[in-house]
Amino acid sequence: MKNSIRLSSKDMINAYLLFFVIHSAQVGVGIQGFQRIIYQDAKHDAWISVLVAGLATHIVAFCMIKTLEVYGSNDLYGIQQDIFGIWIGNFLNALYVVYCFIAFFSVLRNYIEVIQAWIFPNLGTWFLSATLLLIIIYAFTGGLRVVVGVSFFSVILALWIFPMLIFPMKFSSSEALFPILETNLSSIFKGAQSMTFTIIGFEILNVIYPFIKEKKKVKKYVHLGLLATTIIYLSVMMVSITYYSEGKLLKTIWATLTLFSFISFPFMERFEFVAVCFWMLIILPNLCLYLWAAYRGTIRLVKISGTKFVWIFSLLIFIGTLIVQTRTQINSINTHFGQIAFYIVFIYPIFLFMITMLKKKITSRKG
Amino acid sequence: MKKYNFYLMLLFLSSLLSGCVETNILDKIGLTTIVGYDLGTEEKMEITAVIREVNPEFQSNVEIITTENDTSKGNRMKANRQLSKKITVGQMRVILFGEKLAKENLHYYIDLNLENANVSNGLYMAVVEDETAPLLNYEYKNIDDIGQHIFRLLEQNISQEYMISPTLHETAHDFYSIGRDIAMPIIKRNEEHIEMSGIALFKGGTMVSSLPVKDSFYVKLVRDSFNSGFFETNLKEEEMPPGLLKKPSSEIPIVFDAIRSKRELKLIDASTPEFDLNLKLKARVLEIYPDVNLGDPELVKKLEKTISKNLANEISRVIAHAQEVESDIFGFGEKYRSKVRNSELTKEKWHEMYKNMKVNVNIDFIILRNGVFE
Repeated sequence: MKNSIRLSSKDMINAYLLFFVIHSAQVGVGIQGFQRIIYQDAKHDAWISVLVAGLATHIVAFCMIKTLEVYGSNDLYGIQQDIFGIWIGNFLNALYVVYCFIAFFSVLRNYIEVIQAWIFPNLGTWFLSATLLLIIIYAFTGGLRVVVGVSFFSVILALWIFPMLIFPMKFSSSEALFPILETNLSSIFKGAQSMTFTIIGFEILNVIYPFIKEKKKVKKYVHLGLLATTIIYLSVMMVSITYYSEGKLLKTIWATLTLFSFISFPFMERFEFVAVCFWMLIILPNLCLYLWAAYRGTIRLVKISGTKFVWIFSLLIFIGTLIVQTRTQINSINTHFGQIAFYIVFIYPIFLFMITMLKKKITSRKG
Repeated sequence: MKKYNFYLMLLFLSSLLSGCVETNILDKIGLTTIVGYDLGTEEKMEITAVIREVNPEFQSNVEIITTENDTSKGNRMKANRQLSKKITVGQMRVILFGEKLAKENLHYYIDLNLENANVSNGLYMAVVEDETAPLLNYEYKNIDDIGQHIFRLLEQNISQEYMISPTLHETAHDFYSIGRDIAMPIIKRNEEHIEMSGIALFKGGTMVSSLPVKDSFYVKLVRDSFNSGFFETNLKEEEMPPGLLKKPSSEIPIVFDAIRSKRELKLIDASTPEFDLNLKLKARVLEIYPDVNLGDPELVKKLEKTISKNLANEISRVIAHAQEVESDIFGFGEKYRSKVRNSELTKEKWHEMYKNMKVNVNIDFIILRNGVFE
């Protein structure tokens, strides 16, 4: 098929790195405080919502891979141009670039909000956003292989945070989880839908697919990455439900960080301050990957060099972070973005998959 | 490579910017270690803060400041006006409440400390008999730093499980839980010392009653499983089986330690509600008076039974007291909620049911050993 991407093997990455890319693209700012949002809907069955959402990611990823396999070596932008034609396809591509832009923005703004709320209330937004953007620009100009390297190290270096969940477990009681399935199914599904903002990121697969060396192994590593994310979310959710009481969880904005606020070592009084700062490493791949995905889409629309693109993109983000100042604004962006992302990440790929299959059938019959 | 040099340079330079953020230099701040809240006489609250000032040249200095204002932060500002150093709360270890304040409502004060990210969730909370200000302002002969002293006092008793654990997290957990109420230690000044004198029972955010400090063992037994601890009880004559004693005596004091307990709570009837509380205790006899022959297995069995009965009576008494004041510090309500489907329990509803709750206490006490000399 047309528009497929030809790459020399030196620009490509090994399939096993996809595990790190998918996983690090999913885990970001959402995990810091997703508990109360899910809990509002699904109550103490919130962990079932997490499982349902995890399962949904596997199904969607399956559809994505099937769609991509039809085209051999092409990304979402090329597929859309092929299926919907240049005009509608490019319109959809532009939408997808905007989606990446908003995703990038919301991750960055949420993280800045966390820093300001926890550690430096007086530090200007512009300062944090400028410094973070500089790092991201630096990583981006290194190309995809650097971005993937950032993902890899982000996962490896953040591994030690996960066992920290043992400390709050000392104060949890499993009674909080019972009776299982007391909440009705529709609330559980609603809770799963609220997981969108936290669990998205794996749609990066749509863009990165042509860059994978061994296409056959993609499936395995994507699903492993998704599984790892689901396990982490599930354990965080389980610990949170058992550690907090009903009313307290609903009132705790960043429940994961508050979980850590109990931990103190002789050499470190307040662990969560370290966790908040360390989180930068966790969101870095999020940002880099969305930026990169936006770039891949933009070059299909206009001729632009990477450096030029990244400066324009960063400038727009920078201005954006200055405009959005208050918690209420950030929250409303999160909610709206979550709703839109639900359709873009969960519904649209299945729709696209069906159209692709249909088209494949028609063209093969003609041939 | 030249292409990246520019970015590298920028990155390096921006790392220097970290010096521009807010700094808290130890010499220039006052570390608040204890805050005591009281009802104010004119304004809403009176706050007594124990502030430790670190001086590089001299010995550290402890300042105690009492201010009155409508808000907590207003109080902090007032205190700041009296100090040469900036007040910070990151090292706060204990929050104390005056009894009068606790008898009104602590909701506001719990939320206040949860909201502030600088306040650790692991700090302890306690009620002070009467008011906090006199307790903190008193000049104790042997206590240099009252902040550290009260913290250590609570910490060592809690870690050895002599006292229930009242961290901010647990207090807030119980406050926001449907089926559980807050319990906190009570401390008071006793001449030149500070001592723990009891346990405060809360209904919602209001202190409704207290239990003597001796009962903290029973409260702990019913609340959680036990891993260490140390306990003394008096066996009454009427509870004793005949033949246990060589010489009849009206009371036998007995002391155990190295107690391990396993708590099992079962809801057997949801309508009353009725619970079965099964406790399995294993302990070592440390002291018993007068002499009881522990070499005889028959007698040991009898003694175990007597102790079980004694414990069951005491526990029932403590639960009955808590029921009377409608304070579920043991978390029976949580059990009820987790067992009854669609109960739609609320705190008020549970307090109504709690009054009529029945608990059957079954205790299985095992004497593991006594000392090295029989």
